[in-house]
Amino acid sequence: MTARAGKTVLKPVRKKGFWKTLWGQKQLMIMSVPMLLYVLLFNYGPMWGWITAFQDFTPKRGLAESPFVGWANFQWLFSRPDFIRSIRNTLAMSVINLVFGTVSSILLAVLLNEVRNKTFKKTVQTVTYLPHFLSMVIVVGMAQNIFASNGPINKLLQGIGIIKQPVFWLGEGQHFWWLVGVINVWKEVGWNTIIYIAAMTAIDPSLYEAAAIDGAGRFQRILHVTLPGIKSTFMVLLIMNIGHLMEAGFEIQYLMGNGLVQDFSETIDVFVMKYGISKQKYSYATAAGMFKSVVAIVLLLGANFIAKKLDEDTLI
Amino acid sequence: MKKFLAVMMALAMIVALLPAALADEALEPITVTVFRGDPGDQPTDDNKIYKLIEDEFGIKFEIEFLAGDLDETLGLKIANEDYPDLFDGGNSAELIENAGALIDLLPYITEEGTPNLYKHIYTDNRVQQLLHDGKLYIIPNYGINYNGKIDNAPNGPMFFIQKQVIAWNNYKVPTTLNEYFDLLDAFIAENPTNKDGNPYIGFAFPVEDWRRFGLINPVQHLMGRPNDGEVIIDVTTDDYATTTFINQSYAKDYYKKLNEEFNKGTISRDTFVWNYDQYIAALSTGTVLGAFDQGWNHGTAMDALKTAKMDENTFLGIPLVYDESYGYGKIEEHYVNGTVMNKDRGFGISVNCQYPERMINLFENLLSDKWQKILQWGIEGEDYYVEDGRMLMTKEQYDQRSDAAWKKANMALTIWESAPKKQGLMDDGNAWAPGDQAEMYFGMMTEYDVNFLENCGVRVPGDFFDKTLELAPYGEAWQIDKAPIDIDYQDFLTIQDQTLPQVIMADPAEFDAKWDAFVEAINPSCEVYSNFMHEEVLKLVKQALGE
Repeated sequence: MTARAGKTVLKPVRKKGFWKTLWGQKQLMIMSVPMLLYVLLFNYGPMWGWITAFQDFTPKRGLAESPFVGWANFQWLFSRPDFIRSIRNTLAMSVINLVFGTVSSILLAVLLNEVRNKTFKKTVQTVTYLPHFLSMVIVVGMAQNIFASNGPINKLLQGIGIIKQPVFWLGEGQHFWWLVGVINVWKEVGWNTIIYIAAMTAIDPSLYEAAAIDGAGRFQRILHVTLPGIKSTFMVLLIMNIGHLMEAGFEIQYLMGNGLVQDFSETIDVFVMKYGISKQKYSYATAAGMFKSVVAIVLLLGANFIAKKLDEDTLI
Repeated sequence: MKKFLAVMMALAMIVALLPAALADEALEPITVTVFRGDPGDQPTDDNKIYKLIEDEFGIKFEIEFLAGDLDETLGLKIANEDYPDLFDGGNSAELIENAGALIDLLPYITEEGTPNLYKHIYTDNRVQQLLHDGKLYIIPNYGINYNGKIDNAPNGPMFFIQKQVIAWNNYKVPTTLNEYFDLLDAFIAENPTNKDGNPYIGFAFPVEDWRRFGLINPVQHLMGRPNDGEVIIDVTTDDYATTTFINQSYAKDYYKKLNEEFNKGTISRDTFVWNYDQYIAALSTGTVLGAFDQGWNHGTAMDALKTAKMDENTFLGIPLVYDESYGYGKIEEHYVNGTVMNKDRGFGISVNCQYPERMINLFENLLSDKWQKILQWGIEGEDYYVEDGRMLMTKEQYDQRSDAAWKKANMALTIWESAPKKQGLMDDGNAWAPGDQAEMYFGMMTEYDVNFLENCGVRVPGDFFDKTLELAPYGEAWQIDKAPIDIDYQDFLTIQDQTLPQVIMADPAEFDAKWDAFVEAINPSCEVYSNFMHEEVLKLVKQALGE
């Protein structure tokens, strides 16, 4: 577009004016207005409530009357060992969920992709994604029975001789993160598989044929055709998930946590609930929420930046 | 014809409007929104008691029951200032009081204008105990007795033991902690499983969230003190010396005992991870032989056992203390206090309510003898009958009162439970609450229970308790609002939630070290907490003595 020094100056291509472009895409613009309004109203609108993070807010005094306290609420947060722990727990469970979730769903998707029997494939797919629709309350209730001291898992492990004494799964903190990971895989693996299977169906079959002609076995075809074929989907999902790293979930930790494991079970969301809503420390809760959002934005932009550097598909 | 119609229409209009114009303004029909801080069932549309209230006072209720966590629900209501007209904040009413959600009722209650309410709260200077900075927000829903207190079956904190264990022990009831666990251990040694082959759990207690009283409260009772929450208050000293007990040596005695029992297998480690539902489920199977709990906390489990005709598996509540071998001398049990007003529990009127006078007027009228009978007993001839001046119910009439479907249509439960009410005896000697009426109490006991109590040598379960003990002037200290130190209080509880189970589950050799570490960890918050409680107790004493 721009002329290089020392060469004939080319007439720059006339850029259409902003308004002209806008007018040209007026149908699209009109269609996006409701979304824009939605985002403004429900995502940006409430953000001005962040002001309470810098106030000593009580409902009695209201927003206008509550005094400003600067960074005091944040200082309080970072002076709390339980808040620091909640950050650690959030990140740990997120990473476990991300790794377990991604690996398990890609694995299942690849396996299903190789299955030639349609009925079998459909059945497995349905069976594995149904738990997605179960409420976490039910899932945790089941897990509490399954992992109880005299529950089936302990009986099984004792039966095949891996352990001698039943393991106190629900009462020992070091198991908690992994239990959350396992439960999440059980609940979401089928659902997460759907998008990878969709990506695999988009792979050109002639690639497989070419690979077969070149003498690639089934395993090699998976390695060199299927997996590269879903790489862009994988990257997009990865970036999105990294943006969600600060959200390790709330329900499962809230429901399955107890006094004994609280050092490992409390996530930032549980912390916010505990102090913000139950104890009416709205300012502390808002500060914690704000911190979480800022970190999430940084993570998202960071992941996107790195993806760009690696010359991969990026999200934004 | 058209003209005639028009005239008729006009006439009809006038006729229709007349009563409204003539009627007392107070009778203008209104719908009142109600929140109740407990789960519950919506009454049916044609509920007969609500209909009577509507006919007489022109007031309809739109009731919202608690679904989910109470503190969170109240927190949301406060954040949105979304208050119902009548606001029962349940066990966390302090939150709405502190948030300024309730109006001061005091100016509305006068000797001439509202004689019933006036008598209700000014007798024995009760009102002094109820004030917050000179303001009255909530009239207690329970604990204001007329003509004395009836306590056939105390329902508060105590140790529980299955009746079959007592029967097995030839109806000898343990009175000390050591006797209690010796009995449980001996019973389990002989009967490790129930008749279906499920192993017995010796001892359990609730630990989840605010029900942690099962874990952290027993020590004060073993030392002969009533339920003061997490502190022991020395009423024999002039300044009501107040101290947390959990960091004291007499607490170590209890948890050492639990540690021994845990290592014997009498206590299951699953106790510490049970949520409330799982705890109730365990009790409902009849395999839990003993517990520390509050009676009202496991009523559903006992009902389930009764329904399953497993009376021998239901609990008997008993008062236990440390025996003299612990070196605290002879301790007299003090589980049940004299009348305790259920302070800050019940209806308040919110600042959003447009008809505070009518609400006060409603409470005033509902507190009349006529309405109290309707609310508590029902309609004479339908729900109860009178014989020789005694109010009685047939078995059928009494039984239907525990039928959820019947209650929805025939009792104004929310109003009965949350509004000010009379308890104790009527002037004619009948009990205000049907369950307190002596004939009914005995009539409704199962045959098993009648025989059981007879064999134990008592008349009612309450006879195991000393009921003559006086309430301290500060009331019961668990009722004190901890909002001013809520973060410290949370820390205080968090350490106990987490560490006490570890102490109980410790290897016996490590017990002392773990206990010392626990005491060291909790000492700082104990100090903050006991200082705060001491100040509050002194304030309450001052208030009660009217200084």
